[in-house]
This record gives sequence, C-alpha cells and structure tokens, in this order.
Amino acid sequence: MKTFFGYALWGVVSVLAALALSVVALQRDEPVNSLWIVVAAVCVYAIGYRFYAKFIAAKVMALDDRRATPAERLRNSHDFEPTNKWIVFGHHFAAIAGPGPLVGPTLAAQFGYLPGTMWLIFGAVLGGCVQDFTALFASMRRDGKSLGQMAREEIGPIGGFTALLTVLLIMIILLAVIALVVVNALRGSPWGAFTILATMPIAIFMGLYLRYWRPGQVLEVSLIGFVLVLLSIFGGQAVSQSPTLAPWFDYSAMTLAVGIIIYGFAASALPVWLLLAPRDYLSTFVKLGVVILLGVGVLLIRPQLELPALTRFVDGTGPIFAGKVFPFCFITIACGAISGFHSLIASGTTPKLISRETHAVPIGYGAMALESYVGIMALIAACALQPGVFFAVNSPAGVVGATPEAAVATISGWGYPVTVAEMNTLASQVGEETLMARTGGAPSLALGMAHIFSQVGGVDRFIGFWYHFAIMFEALFILTILDAGTRVGRFMLQDLLGSIYKPLGRTSWMPGVIGTSLAIVLAWGYFLIQGVRDPLGGINSLWPLFGIANQLLAAVALSVVTTILIKMHRWKYMWVTAVPTAWLVTVTYTASYYKIFSPDPYLGFLAQANQLQRALEAGTIPAARIAATRAQIFNNQLDAVVCGVFVVLVTLILVDSLRIWTKILFGGVGARVGESPFVMTQLRPEEI
Amino acid sequence: MRRLQELGRIIVGILREIADENAYARHLTAHGVTHSAAEWRRFSEHRMRAKYARAKCC
Repeated sequence: MKTFFGYALWGVVSVLAALALSVVALQRDEPVNSLWIVVAAVCVYAIGYRFYAKFIAAKVMALDDRRATPAERLRNSHDFEPTNKWIVFGHHFAAIAGPGPLVGPTLAAQFGYLPGTMWLIFGAVLGGCVQDFTALFASMRRDGKSLGQMAREEIGPIGGFTALLTVLLIMIILLAVIALVVVNALRGSPWGAFTILATMPIAIFMGLYLRYWRPGQVLEVSLIGFVLVLLSIFGGQAVSQSPTLAPWFDYSAMTLAVGIIIYGFAASALPVWLLLAPRDYLSTFVKLGVVILLGVGVLLIRPQLELPALTRFVDGTGPIFAGKVFPFCFITIACGAISGFHSLIASGTTPKLISRETHAVPIGYGAMALESYVGIMALIAACALQPGVFFAVNSPAGVVGATPEAAVATISGWGYPVTVAEMNTLASQVGEETLMARTGGAPSLALGMAHIFSQVGGVDRFIGFWYHFAIMFEALFILTILDAGTRVGRFMLQDLLGSIYKPLGRTSWMPGVIGTSLAIVLAWGYFLIQGVRDPLGGINSLWPLFGIANQLLAAVALSVVTTILIKMHRWKYMWVTAVPTAWLVTVTYTASYYKIFSPDPYLGFLAQANQLQRALEAGTIPAARIAATRAQIFNNQLDAVVCGVFVVLVTLILVDSLRIWTKILFGGVGARVGESPFVMTQLRPEEI
Repeated sequence: MRRLQELGRIIVGILREIADENAYARHLTAHGVTHSAAEWRRFSEHRMRAKYARAKCC
C-alpha cells in the first residue's frame, strides 16, 4: 500500500513537472506567471533528489553508514565534530550562497526567462548538485582534504600545482568583477554610499563588542548589528535628501573603485576579529534572511513575467554582454547551475562535520538544489521588471547612447518601450538621481526585489527602503568576499612564492605579507579599473571571463572526482561526472574561443583591440582619447591572454587526468585509491 | 507541537553553528575550561585563522 502511494505521489510530481515545464517553455501568447517556474523547479529538484541523488549515493559512491566519517575518527572538538545533518546543511548552504546566483541569472535575463530557467534547473540537477555531492564524498573519504590536495594525490603534482594556480587566477577575476558590481551600484548614489560606509563602523563596533564587552555572544551582537544597519538605511535616505550632506557621499565610479582598492588592502591587513569576522557573521545572517524573504515574497506575490521567454538577443547582439545564447547563457549563470567554487567549500569545512556518510545527500546535493532555487528567485525578480526598464538599467551608455533620450530611443527601437519620464519616476521612487546604465546586475535585481518586497507589505512608498536594503545586502557580502578573498589570495601567492624564496612563504614575515597583499590587491584592482574605464561597462568583458574561469574550475573538480571513481573501479558509472565535465569543457572552450578570436569587435577581445588599433592608426581617435584607447587596446589583449591561460591550465589538468584514466582503463595499471581505511562507526544515534 | 519544537531547535542550531557559538561550546567542553573573555579570544583566533585561510564562495 505504501509503495502504491509512493508511486502515485511521484507520478503526480512528474506530471506536474512536465506540465509546468511545458507552460514555461511553450506558452508565447500571453505572459507567464512566475508560479509555473517555481512549480517546475521544485518538482524537478524533488525528482532529482529522490531518484538521481539516491542512485548516485547507492550505486556510484556506495555510501556506507557503517563507516566512521572523519568527523568521528578525527574528532577534535574544533574542526572535526559529528554534527546534526540539518545544522551542517544550513552551515554549508550559508557558505556556498554568494552574490553569483543572484547576479548571474539577472544578467542572463537578457536572453529572456527561458534559457536561464532551463539551465538553472537542469544544470543544477545534472551538474551542479552532482559536482558538490561527489566532491563532498571524495573529501569525506579522504579525511576532509581540499580539492588541491586531492588533485595532487589522485592526478599528480602537475594537476595539484595547476589547480592552485587556476584558483588564484580565478579569485583575482572574481574579486574584480564583484567589486565592479558594487561600484556600479553605488556610483552617484549618496543613499547607497552612506549605507555601505556605515556598515564599516558598525562591523568594527561589533568586533569590539565581541572581543571586549560580551565575548562569545555572536548571535546577540549580530542582532544589534542588523538593527544598526537598518537604521543606517534610513540615515542614508536622510543624507540623500540633505543638500549639505548628499555631496559628501556622491562618488564617481573611479573614486569608488580607488576607494574599494584602498579598502581591500587596508581591510586585509586589519586583525580579522575587528572587521572581517563580525561583518561576515552579519552578512551571512542577512543573506539567509533575504533569501527566505525573497522566496516567501515570490510565493505570495506570484509576479507575472514581463520579459519574454526569448528576447531578440539570443542571436548574440545583447546590450548587457555580447555572445549568443550558446555558450554564453551557460557561463553567465555559473553559481545557481554549476559553480567550481562550491567544490572548494565541499572539500573544506563541511566534510569535517558530517556524522553519517548518507548525510552527504541532503548536504551536498540538496544544498546546491536550494542555491539553484535562489537563482530562480533572482531570475523571477529580474524578469518581473518591464523589459524596457530592465534594459535601460542594465545597458551601458557605450551601447545604447550617452543621454537618457538616446538610450530610451535605442531600447524602444528594439521593441521594449520605455520613456525618460518612466525612468525618472522610478529613480525618484527609490531615491536615486538616475537608474539608467547601472550595469552589473545588482541595481536591477534590487529593483525587482524592492518591487516584490514592497508589494508584500502592501505599501509602495517603502520601495526606496527595500531598494537600498537589497543594495546594502549585496554590497555587504561582496565587501566581505573582497576582504576574505584578498587574504586567501595572499596565502596562495605566499604558498607559490615560498618555493622560490622561503621567507616569502612565511605568514609572519611582514615584508612578505605586505608585498603579497599588495600584489593581490593591485591585480584585482587593475581589472576593476579596467572595468570602470571600459566604455562598454566592464561587465561585458569581465563577467564572461569570471564565468569561464568558474566553470573551468568545476571541470577540474569533476575530472578529479571522475579519476577517483575510475580508481574505485566504478568506471561503468563514470558518465555521472564525465558527462557534465564534457559539457563544461564544450561550453567553456567554445566561449573562450569566441571571447579571444571572434571577428566581432563587441565580442572578441582581439578583434576589439585590432579595431581600436586601426582607428588609432587612421587618426580617427580624438587627441584627448589616445592614451585611454591605448590602455583599452592593451586591456583587451590582456583579457585574451588571461582567457587563454585559463584554458591552457585546465587543458593541462584534463590531459593529465585522461592519461591516468587511459592507464587504468586500457593499460592494465593497478589503481591506488587514496581513501582513508574503513573503520566501523561507534557513534550512538543520540550523538548524531 | 513536538515537531515545531524540533524545528525551532534545528533553526537555533543552524544559527549557532554559523555564529561559531556551537564550536565555542565544543571547545569549552573539550578543554574542560569555563567561558571567559581570554578563552573566547583564544578560541576565536584559532577558529578565524582557519576560516579565513579558505576561499569564500562567490
């Protein structure tokens, strides 16, 4: 009887999934309600979790609850501790959810809601969840080793070194692109700039409170910090309305970029307890709160999708970033569908907390499905905006025209009507001077979220508060990532340079610490300035570069896991990780080829450099722009080289992996699995 | 009611885990020491050194 109801239930879920997907994919005559996307996503995640994840757990990885996990065997009450699975789930989800699943889907909405929705749902179920789950499993069976360590041990020293270098380069591009998102959200916005500046003394106050006044009371101080941050949003509104104070917080993009670079260096040199740690606690709680709020808001409001299923920009002529829907939709949305960075988290803290091997199913597979759902929410928030408004906010002036009149004429000419009056009213409602050409995704996402949140409360006049709340929330954790990322980048660089000159590897040697911090800050700062100066908005070149790099890292993680599966004699199941690897390689290599060699100057780095060079030689560039044009030529060439380096590095790892696979599968070479030995668990049920 | 209590316990558990308060409680138990400002500082310095040596996700 139970079996019958089980079959019936999953039958209903499958029919519902098919129905919702058909509506989302095929309905063209009238606007689609976002609830169909929610139903499609939830049903597909449920089916993937119930059947595919369980299949991988049982057949591919043969998870065994009798086997003691590292949390039990190496229990030290610090890093290794058997913990309740739902607590680890929450902890892991908080660690993997960053700005990526919010910004990527917003940018990819340029193609319409359909490509992004499909990639978020199926990319996660067949790729992202599988990557997180299998990387977690591999690390769990190896005492919580990192991806780099596993690459070194399972593939070889070249793989290990290349993985470290790849992560370092990706980090530099990541930091630059997310800093650019903040710059574009805050330029010319006294309200936003004041709120974000206020979070710094608030975080320092929290740090001092935790260290000297109420040590250990993290939840208490986070609550106080949250109230202060909310007050700072109201303070920002007062500042923006004051003719005396507003100019003090009205910054150009370049001023903000330089400020963020100086901040990045200073913050990474400050003690962790003073600024980074308290803000990290605060931003994590705010992030979880906003994700829940957005989920509830979308369910309550069920907004209609105003953007079409497919826009005219699937042909590659989009104003936000260049390139056709294939492959560019699949690299623009990385986090939310599949993100290489997750493999670093799945091989970090999480495997050290898992008390039963089968808990890896909800934690590895389930948490990624939830992150994908966050991406779906962001996509809905962006697609709930009028298409004209969406493109007016996200299109750079260099593409649509420098004046509001020219921009709205261009956008309306594409068939997405919008007027200057409409944009001015919207800007005034959210307390901004203008919302035109605010590239980067954050402002349009904030606008979409504010639209939903203000409707939940039923009070439209709070839309300005919600807009700045959303901007604050995005900037808060982006600054945390900048600070933490600069430190991690410094450690990695010290690790690499330490083999050349030993003192450089010591984290206590101040000249080494300052020198490497400066090198990392200048590296991402260079790309940030490049993005700010780029007439096409910077996102057009930097976000694809970041997407390619992140997906290439996912390919590395999946090839490490495939190697492990082959060594475990599970070669008949290697398709589980090999197929997503092949897809990622196809997507990223194609995107890299286009970005480097496309003859279209709007898309290809080299073509743009050549076009500018020709204009320079023909004397058509005004004298005042010659130096900037030379810099632009160099930057395009540099971006092409960086993109090429990513591909070469990952090719090295893949070739090295293929060599190992061939040796084992066809060469009759015995495989040595680097798993820790089987130990029977002694944990009692009440300890789990 | 019991289910709600269980849910509440899990939510508080997640928040305390993210806030490192659970880890601190484990630290106190494992070392057989009581809470003090100096002990918190010792714990948090060790914890943060490990935490911020790893990449944060995008």
